[in-house]
Amino acid sequence: MAFGSTKSRVIVPIVEMTPMIDIIFLLIIFFMVAAQFAQQARVDLNLPLENGEQDESLQESSFIINILDNGDVIIDSTEGAISMVVLENRIREEVEQGNLTWENILIRADENGAAGTMNKVFHLLNKYNFSAAKIATESN
Amino acid sequence: MQFAKSNRRGINRATLSLSSMIDVTFLLLIYFIVTTVLSKPEDQLNPALLIDQGSVVEDSLMDPQIIYVQTKNLQPVYKLGSQQFSDRSALAEVLKVLPKEPGIIIKADDSVTVGFAVAAIQESRDAGFTKVTYVPASN
Repeated sequence: MAFGSTKSRVIVPIVEMTPMIDIIFLLIIFFMVAAQFAQQARVDLNLPLENGEQDESLQESSFIINILDNGDVIIDSTEGAISMVVLENRIREEVEQGNLTWENILIRADENGAAGTMNKVFHLLNKYNFSAAKIATESN
Repeated sequence: MQFAKSNRRGINRATLSLSSMIDVTFLLLIYFIVTTVLSKPEDQLNPALLIDQGSVVEDSLMDPQIIYVQTKNLQPVYKLGSQQFSDRSALAEVLKVLPKEPGIIIKADDSVTVGFAVAAIQESRDAGFTKVTYVPASN
């Protein structure tokens, strides 16, 4: 009767590096792209220093309107300032696609700017039947 | 890549050095930590919107309480009835004693600063008004 080798086999654990590297790079790319989008939507402004309403139940804002102290309106920092006509077109498109409720819209206005531009934006929102608005403040 | 010594059967087993990969991973981690701009904590105020169409605002509500945010003699002021305030603390004191059920309307002129107009909304909320309506100046 033939028997195989009686030496005990040593199992060497192998760590599969390829999928781990795949996942690491995927995460890196995801965070890079996500960070870029966040920067584009929010412009560095001096927001009014107010506590706000501390209401956590509201939806996250997907449509951010930045109003600079000189009255410029920016919705994407890569595009630069846009006119009221362009802003209205963008709002109309979003409304037609059914993507927009008042909770999705956030007005980020510089506290040192005149309220005139903010008022114009509110007139525009009212035109599309938005019954309320979210005004961003900087928490103390 | 480092290769271990061949075993008895002459098969080379490839081994990967983890330390270099951990180096790179930590380098990337430090890079992202350093380059990340921490955003300041933001909150928001949510007033209702109403457009002033002549006397509609006044007619639509019973006995409306209206704060006019205006510029008088180049100074921003809050006007509430016959009273006029140049600072928010005085406005806050008056708002506390007003009845809360009818709500309050804030009408801001184009010339005042955003900060001054938003302060009126905040003071109204802090005074206990649940119905705060913002009325932008007419176009």
